[in-house]
Amino acid sequence: MIELVQQILNGLAIGGVYVLVALGLTTVFGILGIAHFAHGSVSMFGGCLTCFLAVSAGLPLLAAIAAAMAVGFVLGVAIELLAYRPVRGASHINAFIVALGLTMMVEGLNLQLFGHEQVVILTGLSRVFEIGGVTIPELRLYVILAAAALIASMTLFVERTRTGQAIRAVAENREAAILMGVNVQAIPLIVFGISTTLGVCAGVMVGSLFAIAPGIGEWLVVKGFAVLILGGLGSIPGAVIGGMVLGVTEALAAGFVSSAYKDLIAFAVMIAVLLMRPQGLMGKA
Amino acid sequence: MQFRPAYLALAAAAVGLALLPQIIVAKYYLHLSILALIWTIAAQGQNLIQGHAGYVSIVQAGFMGIGAYGTTLLGMHFALPVWLTMLLAPFVTALFALAAGYPSLRVKGRCFAIVTLAYNLVIFIVLTNWTSLTHGEAGITGIPKPGGPDGWFDFRDRATFNCLTLILAGAMTGLAWLIARSRIGQTLRAIRQNEDLVGAIGIPAWKYKLFAFVAAAAFAGLAGAVYAHYQSFINPEVFGLAQSLDAILAVIVGGSGAIAGPFIGAFFVVFLPEYLRFADAFRLIIYGLALILATIFMPRGIVGVASDLWARSRRGRE
Amino acid sequence: MMRKLTLAAAALAGAIAGPLGGSSAAAAERTLRIGVSDALTGGASVYGLPQANAIRMAADEINAAGGVKVGGDSYMLDVIAHDDKGNPTEATNAVRKLIDFDEVKYILGFCCSGAASAVASFIADEDAVMLVGNAAERSITARGIPNLVRTRPPADYTGAAAGAFVGKRGHKRVAVLGALDVGFYALYVDAFEKELNKAGGQTIARESFGLKDRDMTPQLTKIREMNPDALLVVGYVEPAAFIYRQSVELGMDIPRYGFTSGSEEQFLRVATSEQMEGVWDLRPTELTLQSATETGLACHRNYTERYGMPPSPSSPYAHDNVHALKHAIEAAGTVDDTRAVARALRELAPPSEAVMQYLPVDGKMFDRNGQAYTANGAFQWRGGKWVYVEELPSDAKAYSEFLASLR
Repeated sequence: MIELVQQILNGLAIGGVYVLVALGLTTVFGILGIAHFAHGSVSMFGGCLTCFLAVSAGLPLLAAIAAAMAVGFVLGVAIELLAYRPVRGASHINAFIVALGLTMMVEGLNLQLFGHEQVVILTGLSRVFEIGGVTIPELRLYVILAAAALIASMTLFVERTRTGQAIRAVAENREAAILMGVNVQAIPLIVFGISTTLGVCAGVMVGSLFAIAPGIGEWLVVKGFAVLILGGLGSIPGAVIGGMVLGVTEALAAGFVSSAYKDLIAFAVMIAVLLMRPQGLMGKA
Repeated sequence: MQFRPAYLALAAAAVGLALLPQIIVAKYYLHLSILALIWTIAAQGQNLIQGHAGYVSIVQAGFMGIGAYGTTLLGMHFALPVWLTMLLAPFVTALFALAAGYPSLRVKGRCFAIVTLAYNLVIFIVLTNWTSLTHGEAGITGIPKPGGPDGWFDFRDRATFNCLTLILAGAMTGLAWLIARSRIGQTLRAIRQNEDLVGAIGIPAWKYKLFAFVAAAAFAGLAGAVYAHYQSFINPEVFGLAQSLDAILAVIVGGSGAIAGPFIGAFFVVFLPEYLRFADAFRLIIYGLALILATIFMPRGIVGVASDLWARSRRGRE
Repeated sequence: MMRKLTLAAAALAGAIAGPLGGSSAAAAERTLRIGVSDALTGGASVYGLPQANAIRMAADEINAAGGVKVGGDSYMLDVIAHDDKGNPTEATNAVRKLIDFDEVKYILGFCCSGAASAVASFIADEDAVMLVGNAAERSITARGIPNLVRTRPPADYTGAAAGAFVGKRGHKRVAVLGALDVGFYALYVDAFEKELNKAGGQTIARESFGLKDRDMTPQLTKIREMNPDALLVVGYVEPAAFIYRQSVELGMDIPRYGFTSGSEEQFLRVATSEQMEGVWDLRPTELTLQSATETGLACHRNYTERYGMPPSPSSPYAHDNVHALKHAIEAAGTVDDTRAVARALRELAPPSEAVMQYLPVDGKMFDRNGQAYTANGAFQWRGGKWVYVEELPSDAKAYSEFLASLR
């Protein structure tokens, strides 16, 4: 029993990271129909940048994270404006190729700017809480809480603000949104800015819980897409549930079935969900 | 079809490639040419599902892996001749594709790309972890080449192997052309235009999509088998996600839907990164930038640009 | 200043003469190009870049000491490096380019087993010599390819010594957590288990993790439930450091052994010194400050000065290859006859410039398989750094016989 509870807790922290990656992907996908493959590399960039600002530039960690999030927002806007906007009218395959090109560029830049060694963001949080044989490192707790706070504020933003309502309007019916006077030129910029900011947060979490190393970007974005399918394309509650399900499934698979095949089991669950509920766990039929 | 000069260009390229060993001495180029021809086979397959049906599939390298391991393991465990195992490889791959495509293609829409991506990862995980069968990451060495010193042809000679891949790439290009011209090809293009409409007039679109997916896999299986016997060494690394993305690139850069597109695109994805070696650390950045610029400024690929130029010069003359 | 000018002139002459057919220049000071194929980008660049750096450094050491002397001529080494991303196809392309286009006859690097195996599968037919560094897959030297040598010993050679050591310390139930999808790590564990069984112990779990995994808490939680006497961690430094950290976070208080070859900096980037306290590393006596000889310390100093970071412990394998190559070329008395140079490599005693401590077999650095062996050692983390505790008894000659018997 202790083992089961421990395994679920193990999965929640990584699940929180998956949720943040997927939130960015799902808003981009839901509104613009773009499979933004470079999202993982951009998240990596954010994590590396935070580490650089905190260590080399000497900023306090929270200030470094805030600065990296601001850079992330600008980067997201630039990506939409310079790379995706020119191919908006074309087939969605073209946008996908642009995404691949972006991935290579960002990966190459990361390597040039931050080197080839794995980057770990040092938080100095090393206490461990223990409750009835179940252990929770302090850091993991904060990551789960931070993810929850980000998810809540994202939900509030989309549900309660005018910009958020405009984003939802475009997602549901682009033509009608134009008729109602929504500025459809600005919406994609905001969406990319926000989703990249969320990606940067995910990168910071990966960098402080674990590490950012070459190749992690691809791993992150693949997991993010898996969450998208699990939860339902374009659905924010879907991304939250899907991310948690994926994180916990992986932990349980590694703990109770086979650590070598844990990813395979996670994908099998994803494909099974797709077969039984093609619209995803939370998607609308 | 719409662009006649493409056939002329293809024929010229075929003659040129056959004479290649005479023209250039450096085995390096010959080696790259063989790789590019192998990629042509895979890209012609990819073109069926991506270019014609309009579905992005991210598992082409994974299927190449099944073909490569298929031919190798059949040869190792059943002592079958190389020719036979190479011939069987596409069929083995097609069986896997049938099993994978049947459930995933009934689901319509954009999830397909991500599901196939998951398939590629699954193939990679199994190839890496099922070490008793595949030798895992260490890979399999000493895969035999067809023919031998006593046979009619000795395929250990690079020039001879170049001819073999050229013939195979030509034959598969021909096969792709036949499929594209047939009713199946027409239906696939109709699916790309409007899948709901195709369904509405009573054509079971998913059957056609499944055919394109399985055919694409068979092409990849053959390409993988040729690769295995050419390199004599395979490990899972060769059949990862990055290589599947190369197959997609080959189709889009060459020109989706056109018969010459995958051929040109395959040479592009093999030769350009090699050419960019001089850029050293900036290679990835330049390659990525080139892709983005190419997609923005020539969305119909190299063939598209060429046919525009051709049309313009014709108009000029008339 | 003068020497720099001459060097530049020599490099220029090489650059002009190279594409035109190489060695026809008549000057007494010539250029010898050596090639590197290694992972300079991608996930494996953590190992590939330091190797390429170490090769460049070794070449400059040789050039500063007057180059490679053959007949009356001295050859300055010119290093040309290509990225293979650790990928077999890319490595084949890179080596083809080096041989056919850059007209290189001596090829070094190879941090990754897949890339090294792919090149090894055709190198016997080429007019070239391949000197493998860090790639640890056993089969690379098991085939006895005449123009291939490797400085890093195969993992199972070290694994056997490690198993005997852990068995001697009286652990009966050992849980293994390793990168078991990587062939040579699995070999290490196999050899470890065999020796442990002889001492009456057994491995009670074999859990696996991937190269990109950093969250090993699920595997560790499972192991924690099994109550083992000791934990063996086998894998690359980056993930292994997380296992040590997370095992403490999960409250596991058992002896921890490892095969990771990480430097202090690499571990401290991930875990605190308290989390590392008492961890053993059972591995070849690679470059760490505690085990290093004078040459090793100098190498560490020069590398740190030149590249602004300390060398990875395994990068000197490639460094030593360059020096071995220099001595072999001088012994063979030719730069063109690669067969003679390959033969000379197998006759060589470990050169004095070598950073690793090689155990010669019959007085030779490389045995008849082309394989070199270093001493194995037990290191323990004490108070913030690795301390060399004792040598692990290992029999290079017996392993050499075993390796040859696999053919």
